Amino acid sequence: MILEFMRDDHRVCDHLYTDAENALAAKNTDEAKRLFGEFYRATNRHFDMEERELFVTFEKRTGMVGGPTQMMRYEHEQLRAQLEAMQEALNDDKYDDFFGIGESMMIMLQQHNMKEEQMLYPMIDSALEGDAQLMIQTLKEMA
Amino acid sequence: MFNRGLSLDQAPPISVVLRFFLSVPIFGVLFSFLLIVYPTDILIPNHPTSLSAIHLFFLGIISMSMIGSLFQMQSVLGGKPIPSPLGNSLIIHTFFSVGLIALASAFLFHLLAAFVIAAVLLGSSLIYLVQLILPLLFGGVTHDTLRGMRLALLSLLLTAVFGAVMASSFANESFGTLHEAVRTAHYSLALAGWIGALIIAVAFQVVEMFYVTTAYGNWYKRNVFRTIALSLILKIVWLFLALPYIWVFDLFLAAVLLGFVVTTVIRLRARKRRVSDVSIGFWYAGMGLLFVSLISHIVYLYTASALCETTALLSFGLFSLSIILGMMAKIVPFLVWFHLSSQGYLQTPIMSNIIPAKQNKRLFVLFAISSLLALISFLTPILLSLSGIGFFAMFALLAYNLIAAVRLYRHTQTTSPRMSMDFSSQS
Repeated sequence: MILEFMRDDHRVCDHLYTDAENALAAKNTDEAKRLFGEFYRATNRHFDMEERELFVTFEKRTGMVGGPTQMMRYEHEQLRAQLEAMQEALNDDKYDDFFGIGESMMIMLQQHNMKEEQMLYPMIDSALEGDAQLMIQTLKEMA
Repeated sequence: MFNRGLSLDQAPPISVVLRFFLSVPIFGVLFSFLLIVYPTDILIPNHPTSLSAIHLFFLGIISMSMIGSLFQMQSVLGGKPIPSPLGNSLIIHTFFSVGLIALASAFLFHLLAAFVIAAVLLGSSLIYLVQLILPLLFGGVTHDTLRGMRLALLSLLLTAVFGAVMASSFANESFGTLHEAVRTAHYSLALAGWIGALIIAVAFQVVEMFYVTTAYGNWYKRNVFRTIALSLILKIVWLFLALPYIWVFDLFLAAVLLGFVVTTVIRLRARKRRVSDVSIGFWYAGMGLLFVSLISHIVYLYTASALCETTALLSFGLFSLSIILGMMAKIVPFLVWFHLSSQGYLQTPIMSNIIPAKQNKRLFVLFAISSLLALISFLTPILLSLSGIGFFAMFALLAYNLIAAVRLYRHTQTTSPRMSMDFSSQS
């Protein structure tokens, strides 16, 4: 089901961010930069999967354009801006800024994930019905 | 770093939540004042001063924070935002605050008419709150947190009804044969149903996601609210029919809450996110205090010891305060940052500059010392006065932190350049 697949992907991203944060807290800056890069790519890939495939298909099936999927797209926009700001702070060795922005990014990301996992993904599962597995295959191929 | 207002449209204006949060230290200071001045009376169960302090604490501090958080959480956890949040929060907050002042004064100064005012204002504000939010929790996708929120709101509704009944008894100084049953139902619903269920429901989301832990077990998530609801219903039936073995239902409640303590501590200890954060300290302290509360209550069931009864109530209150302070330390800076950045201000401060970590650590130290003093105050009431001084300092610091965050919010709005936007800002 979409809910399980996408929820697992959320958790993968969470773990990657945590690894980066832990590495930076341990002053292992090179490792932190590498891990943050992985998190950055994984999160953007997740947003792309949603925006290019999942949301588009859901909107076509239900006719719900400008509803929850549009809301999620705008939140992606906000989160992408934060990821850029964190990347910049890390590149400039401004580690306090990285942790400060990271805290708000994490809360915002988790609120966003909660909305998707509790409302949107179950709605998508219900709209896709038997085609969920096919969609998961498509999303995997995007990875 | 801005959007076109959609995300902001779903969240209530920041003033909605801050109205409730800023009231918390005011009632906190009043509560602390009672601890300092009347330590002996407060340690006597059912003493009017004790009842005044208990209601200032559980309504003015705990419920005030929880209602404010509900306005914020509803759109995230409940899926649908609360309609007209500015007007509705103003009505609820005003009625609730005035009603609480009336109730605390009624107990403290033996003002019988004030009980009527309290019953009307507190009762109507809470019933209005429940009828506003509860329908929003039905009709969409259901999940465990939503079930917990439904139980919490239904419990709050019944708590308010029983509370209003008791307030009218106090106003008439006429207590029927069922008064004790009503009183027990009132506090059982408030503590296990309203406070316990809502904290557990929120923890299911917050602990796993903010601290990157494993998820709570499906079996526990599926059954915890059923067990709390069933235990409370049966306990109330048993109370009103005066049936024996009523303590069995308290054991069930204690068992699910102990399960919550154990599963939460296991998750927090194995959390993946290791960066130092004072909210973790508040969560651990909260779980420790809940453990003490449950053990004290179980011992009380078998011994009827007044000391155990007082310790159980005191540590349950401190458990809920600990969780709330920990959450507030995160929520308030986040809200300030979120609303400013969503309104397009380019020089939005980062969270760690809104309430610095050292301020939150000071808050935790004051909480820990004051709580410890309160818990050992059975040795001598002077310790409760000292605890009151500690809580007074803690709530003063909380007020300072909150006001500093609001001032920074206003300062950024007046000084920071702003992206041109095609939506009107909210604040």
